[in-house]
Amino acid sequence: MSDLTLNTKPARRLTRKSVANNLFSWALVLPAILFLAVFTFYPLVNLIQLSLYRGNITNPYKTFRGIENYIDILVKRPQFMTTLKNTALYVVMYVPICLSLSLIFSVWLQKARKMNNFAQTCFFAPHLVATISSAFMWSWIFSPESSGIANGLIRLFGFNTHNWLGSSATAMVCVMIMNTWASIGHHALIFLSALKSIPGEVYEAAELDSSSSIKTFFKITLPMLSPQIFLMLITMTTNSFKIFESVRQMTGGGPGISTKTVCMFIYDNAFETNNTLGLAGAASIVLTIILMLITLLDFKGLEKKVHYQ
Amino acid sequence: MAEIRFEKVCKFFDKARIIEDLDLTIQDGKFTVLVGASGCGKTTLLRMIAGIGPATSGHIYMDGRDITDTAPAKRDIAMVFQNYAIYPTMTVRENIEFGLKNKKVPKAEREALIKEYAAVVGLTDYLDRKPGTLSGGQRQRIALARAMVKKPAVFLMDEPLSNLDAKLRVQMRSELIELHNKLKTTFVYVTHDQVEAMSMADVIVLMDKGRIMQEASPEVIYNDPNNVFTAQFIGTPPMNIIDMPDGNKLGFRPERIALSYAPVQGDFTRKGTVLTREMLGSETLYKIDCSGNTYMAKIDDPNFAMGENVYVHVANEHLYFFDAEGQRIREKGNETLFAQLLKTAGGMSNV
Repeated sequence: MSDLTLNTKPARRLTRKSVANNLFSWALVLPAILFLAVFTFYPLVNLIQLSLYRGNITNPYKTFRGIENYIDILVKRPQFMTTLKNTALYVVMYVPICLSLSLIFSVWLQKARKMNNFAQTCFFAPHLVATISSAFMWSWIFSPESSGIANGLIRLFGFNTHNWLGSSATAMVCVMIMNTWASIGHHALIFLSALKSIPGEVYEAAELDSSSSIKTFFKITLPMLSPQIFLMLITMTTNSFKIFESVRQMTGGGPGISTKTVCMFIYDNAFETNNTLGLAGAASIVLTIILMLITLLDFKGLEKKVHYQ
Repeated sequence: MAEIRFEKVCKFFDKARIIEDLDLTIQDGKFTVLVGASGCGKTTLLRMIAGIGPATSGHIYMDGRDITDTAPAKRDIAMVFQNYAIYPTMTVRENIEFGLKNKKVPKAEREALIKEYAAVVGLTDYLDRKPGTLSGGQRQRIALARAMVKKPAVFLMDEPLSNLDAKLRVQMRSELIELHNKLKTTFVYVTHDQVEAMSMADVIVLMDKGRIMQEASPEVIYNDPNNVFTAQFIGTPPMNIIDMPDGNKLGFRPERIALSYAPVQGDFTRKGTVLTREMLGSETLYKIDCSGNTYMAKIDDPNFAMGENVYVHVANEHLYFFDAEGQRIREKGNETLFAQLLKTAGGMSNV
């Protein structure tokens, strides 16, 4: 018996110590957990709840509808699916074009030339302009009247003027051009800093190894930029799925609903039409799930190809 | 195998003149070491041979062929960089293979070469690993294998051992000497470490501020320096140099000093006090104060103590004389002046 007491005493003391340790650890992470709970988990739960009711801003929970809202947007009313298709089309155009152009510009800016500091500033400046202002400016550039720069230019070459933002064939492309213009400097800057961290000796070694400049780019530069490319791919995809301001300002979703995006659908149903807050909630949940899936697929499919130092 | 010749080569960075009107011939099949302090232009010279840092003016010849403007890939050279410059995203195999693939060497031949040289540098078990998972010494071996596999006519190495720890450095040093003996190609090796230079070189090219101070074998550079710079750069501790009353300089190596409690007559002998004593193992280093001048002495006897009065003696045959500009005055051709200098040195003795 005495042996047993001798054996358990230090063990109990250890347990007490580890409990104190545990409490201290929890105290340290508590602020972060509280922050997440209040500003992330609670709104998410709230959103899920919202998506199950019919209501408006002043009275969100008028009648319980269950999954009716989801059936509405996914099956009964085709508008949501159209906006999802529009948004996906935009993402598919914007991400590869913006990513590759940023990469090309960063490689170009990398060379130590006097004009490159100036060029870098020029590319980055649009990122500092509010999206709404940029969108307003580009609306004017693509104005259907001959006063618009785009139309002025093509008239100079003898073509007929075109209603850029008023045609379903070109409206989304115009929005994409605007957003590429606005963000390319920012992305190029991130690539540029990564490019500058690649030691020059590696390139010299490649030169001595008879590597052509194209081969050096694809075999050495690109793999070494893979962490930045991967990060950019994920943030660009998720951000462009959430595109709102620029489309709303430039096309208002038109012509018809040919450029209406998911976020515009959510906004309209939440604030513009009555008793459709639940639809907006359901659409938000669907969008969140889609973005989660895409990010997950990105990680599953590409992370192994990313080279971390 | 190849001989490299520099002819009136200059290199300016913006307005800074790094190398001016340099002539140098690097002999075929020799292990040549370019040595000097940081910024003396040794790496600049090496990069000119590689073609990755072209000369501002002048010509570089390889076996008589002007390669001044030849692309690096067409020079039949291989280089090992200070930071190895291996491709971090490729495996060891891909690193070694990259240059061969670019030269369109057939696959079977590539495989055989990789196998052969991976074995030479002891990386056979690591061929499918990424460099990030290997140690500094192993990464250095990748760089060596990558250079060797190309079977170049000239091997360039830019301080390849400076990032290794002391023990590994000594080991790699002897491996490089062995490698040179085996390959018999021209090696050009850059270092700031005189021990590395002395231990590895067939020919040392000692540089200072873009100029060649002396080009000779390690034995000649140590025993017969052309100037004060060479005399003080080579040897640890450096040669003792003191001003003579006639404006010339007198030099003698710390290893050539004999210390004693009783005065030795003749030649150069001065009375002094032991300031510090450093026991190095087989030898002991003493700093000795001789009425204002301090000399370093490196001798076998560890029994002199700090504060003791001793006599410093150097035999005439171990005395070197330099003029006011630091250039060596040799006996041959200057017999009368040399006899005069010996007499002056003897007169400086205070016994």
